[in-house]
Amino acid sequence: MTFHSDDPRDIGWVRENIPCQNACPAGTDIPAYIRAIAGGNHGQAYEINREANVLPGVLGRICSRPCESACRHGWAGNGDPVGICHLKRAAADLKDTRHRITERLYAPTGKRIAVVGAGPAGVAAAHDLSLLGHDVTILEREEKPGGMLRYGIPEFRLPRDMLEIELRNALRLGVQLRAGVTVGTTQGAIRVSTLLADHDAVLLATGCMAPVQLPLRGVPEGTDLSRHCQDVEYGLPFLMDLHRGQHKRVGRRVAVVGAGFTALDCARVARRLGGREVTIHLRTSEEYIPVTSEELFETKREGIRIKGLRTPVALRTDGDGRLTGVAFVQNRLGGWRENGRRLATPIEGSEFFEPCDTLIIAIGQRTVNDFLDMRVELDRAGNVRVAENGMTSVHGLFAAGDYVRGASTAIEAIGHARGIADRIDAWLMGRQRRRMVRIEAVAAPPRLPAHDFIPRCHMPTLPLAERQLLTGEVERGYTPELAAEEAKRCYLCDLRYQIDVDRCIYCRACIEVAPRNCIKLTRDVEIRADGSLGALRETREWRRVAAIWIDNNECIRCGACFKVCPVACISITRNHFVTVDG
Amino acid sequence: MNAAASPPPRHHVIIGNGVAGNQAAELLRDRDPASRVTILTHSRLLFYNRYLLPGIFQDMANWPELLAHPPEHYAARRIHVRRECRVSAVDPRNRLVKLAHNETIPYDTLLVATGGRGHLPEELAEYRPLFHHFGSYEAAMATRRALPERGAVVMLGGDMIGLDLARTLLAIECRVILVTHETTFWPHALTPEERTNALATLVAMGIEVIDGDARGGVAAVEPGAPGLPARRVVFHNGADLYGDVVMPCFGLTPMVEFMVGTGIDIERGVLVSPQLRTSDPHIFAAGDVCQIWSEEEHAYRFYYGYRNVRAMGEVAAINMTGGQEAFATNRVESLGHDAQGRIDSSFWVYDE
Repeated sequence: MTFHSDDPRDIGWVRENIPCQNACPAGTDIPAYIRAIAGGNHGQAYEINREANVLPGVLGRICSRPCESACRHGWAGNGDPVGICHLKRAAADLKDTRHRITERLYAPTGKRIAVVGAGPAGVAAAHDLSLLGHDVTILEREEKPGGMLRYGIPEFRLPRDMLEIELRNALRLGVQLRAGVTVGTTQGAIRVSTLLADHDAVLLATGCMAPVQLPLRGVPEGTDLSRHCQDVEYGLPFLMDLHRGQHKRVGRRVAVVGAGFTALDCARVARRLGGREVTIHLRTSEEYIPVTSEELFETKREGIRIKGLRTPVALRTDGDGRLTGVAFVQNRLGGWRENGRRLATPIEGSEFFEPCDTLIIAIGQRTVNDFLDMRVELDRAGNVRVAENGMTSVHGLFAAGDYVRGASTAIEAIGHARGIADRIDAWLMGRQRRRMVRIEAVAAPPRLPAHDFIPRCHMPTLPLAERQLLTGEVERGYTPELAAEEAKRCYLCDLRYQIDVDRCIYCRACIEVAPRNCIKLTRDVEIRADGSLGALRETREWRRVAAIWIDNNECIRCGACFKVCPVACISITRNHFVTVDG
Repeated sequence: MNAAASPPPRHHVIIGNGVAGNQAAELLRDRDPASRVTILTHSRLLFYNRYLLPGIFQDMANWPELLAHPPEHYAARRIHVRRECRVSAVDPRNRLVKLAHNETIPYDTLLVATGGRGHLPEELAEYRPLFHHFGSYEAAMATRRALPERGAVVMLGGDMIGLDLARTLLAIECRVILVTHETTFWPHALTPEERTNALATLVAMGIEVIDGDARGGVAAVEPGAPGLPARRVVFHNGADLYGDVVMPCFGLTPMVEFMVGTGIDIERGVLVSPQLRTSDPHIFAAGDVCQIWSEEEHAYRFYYGYRNVRAMGEVAAINMTGGQEAFATNRVESLGHDAQGRIDSSFWVYDE
């Protein structure tokens, strides 16, 4: 039995009960691809990934993994989250070498679209727009596509052969790539207004490439510190220069200021470039920095120190202008920012000094708009303002990814760009697509209780002694056996267990075998304004019981209730979103 | 007329069964006689004196000799010690402690006194199964079983916990080989001159001191070959050495994993005010697990040693029952020499 539903109860169920997919900015159908891996179908798993994210092999290496933070297996008392990202990579690495990718093409539309920027957002949007039948040209300032992926991430985290293959696969269906082309207002550059005149739509996906300045005592606001002192670098330009082929040098003692992946990457690169004492300085503490615990562990393992609760306030230089160290003040942890990050409060009179020979500042990036030759409305943060359909204040000019949202992650940029590509298509063609829930009957529980006791499979890594070069990939990838074992751990949250109250004989057998408080006596259930189901209203009084209800939020899909039910009134269905035309 | 209903007794929950936790429990019982006091520990044993652990390498063979109090003491004091309980999370909003076996324990005030575990630098983490430890009775017994008579012990790092054991090992005629590291003499912070002198003292005591930095640091720990001691330590410069046991002695790492994600301020340890309050008004922390704000130094810092930790337990108990006492210490954190010319440390001071 398989059918599609747009019932708000079903839509609400999928939205809330598959926390990993809900947390993924691209909406990847994670349980489906993990189920495919468990069955040894790595190619199928790759295709499921690619429907949502056109660069699975890349994201399987460098994703920030919001899915794992949300994974039900990681909730208190359930153990560690499933290695979702490692499994994504396994799908890419372990698929058959003769695997053929699948693309579902719409008929050509004759519409011409220019995409400015070949980073993750630009590539994802260009790919989707080409599938939708449009003629897409992508313009890239650098010599090669990839943006931050190619120029901002070290090769020891993201091998370029994998990036190259996936970028080529993304762009080879009708996307014309024009690399080494500048869009802007300088001489020889292509103007945005020209692009608008020559195309039906223009999408700006230029990302966040300008470093955020670090305010320091004695340095006028807005000063480029890398020009102020030759031993100071900004994180992203440091990495971009390196990946453009420049020879970079660091001193023996390197201080990195910043808390994100770029800061960690800079520190690890500095170590490989010969930095003997490399230290990352945080304003808050390790708990609150937006990187994965595994990345943090590998960083420390390479001998990099991390020191928290400090804000740099001044540089110290010698008579020749060479850096001798950085003055910091001690911080306290403060309140919370709007984005969920912690604030740090500097403490007056707590200044101290840390010697260093090189300072790398990696405290974030911001957008630049000086390439625009027309007035475009900006928000208070200086990012371009877009309407709900992704269009800027200029007719036909759209924007996506970090250029709109500010610095984020690759998966956020891809997820946002795919949504904007869909809206551009809707604007151009009047075509609408909508989400429905596909519901498929499942004959029996696919998980075994023993799967709950499998510990998280750790990613094999390159021995420390072999990490001298900038190119050797540190994470080596799962073997097929490890991938299959890790895949078994997934609770398969897309499985919905339901009790048919008309057939239930209220014997309580399911309650007796439940491993946790997942089967509840309910008198009522909240119905929200949008028609979805909300909180269960439980009761302990039999006379008030309206139904025995499986709380899928507590359920770990062990199947014990299904197996014990004497009247087979418990059903299992797989529920997942699909996009349909019309 | 109905008598006014008395409020239910407060439940003071203490996570950790060490010096700070037990000191707090005793004082809580005295200050709040009607309350419930519960200690949660993942240990199988009641509170025992870790300062006596080196003794099991000599003549102390039975664990009851280590216990600070017999079980009857806790029954008489109405201190409920729940052993073999592993705390998986704390829910400050609902004031619940969650245990790994899915039980939840409500509290009115909570004291986190989990202490620290032996720190293992991340670059050596993959060799964890090959190391021998000394942080608990069970670990010390396992090390003792692995150590043959007059065997060789390789100590990596050489913190003051390890050096305390080293004194005993020398007394029973074991070889002690110390591989120096920046954590040698932890928690003491020595000047280069003091460090040189202290290392010379160790040599004079009979400890074989190897300059870890000169060998590029430890690259790997491996099983020893047949006919050789059970462990081989390989250095980055290619040199190696053998020992029957290899012990990581790199200081302590606070045990705070179960607090991550609770919203309680943590840096390396739980951050507390001088009153040992965390960022949640119902949660306190004491002992090696906490970093205390120092007004003098404008920094959060750790305070180690029996006397400091015991004082923290007292301060926490006072403030958990409405007090406003601040932790203060005048303990001199010094490394010196005893009458026999051996190193001596305030860190080793233990009051019966």
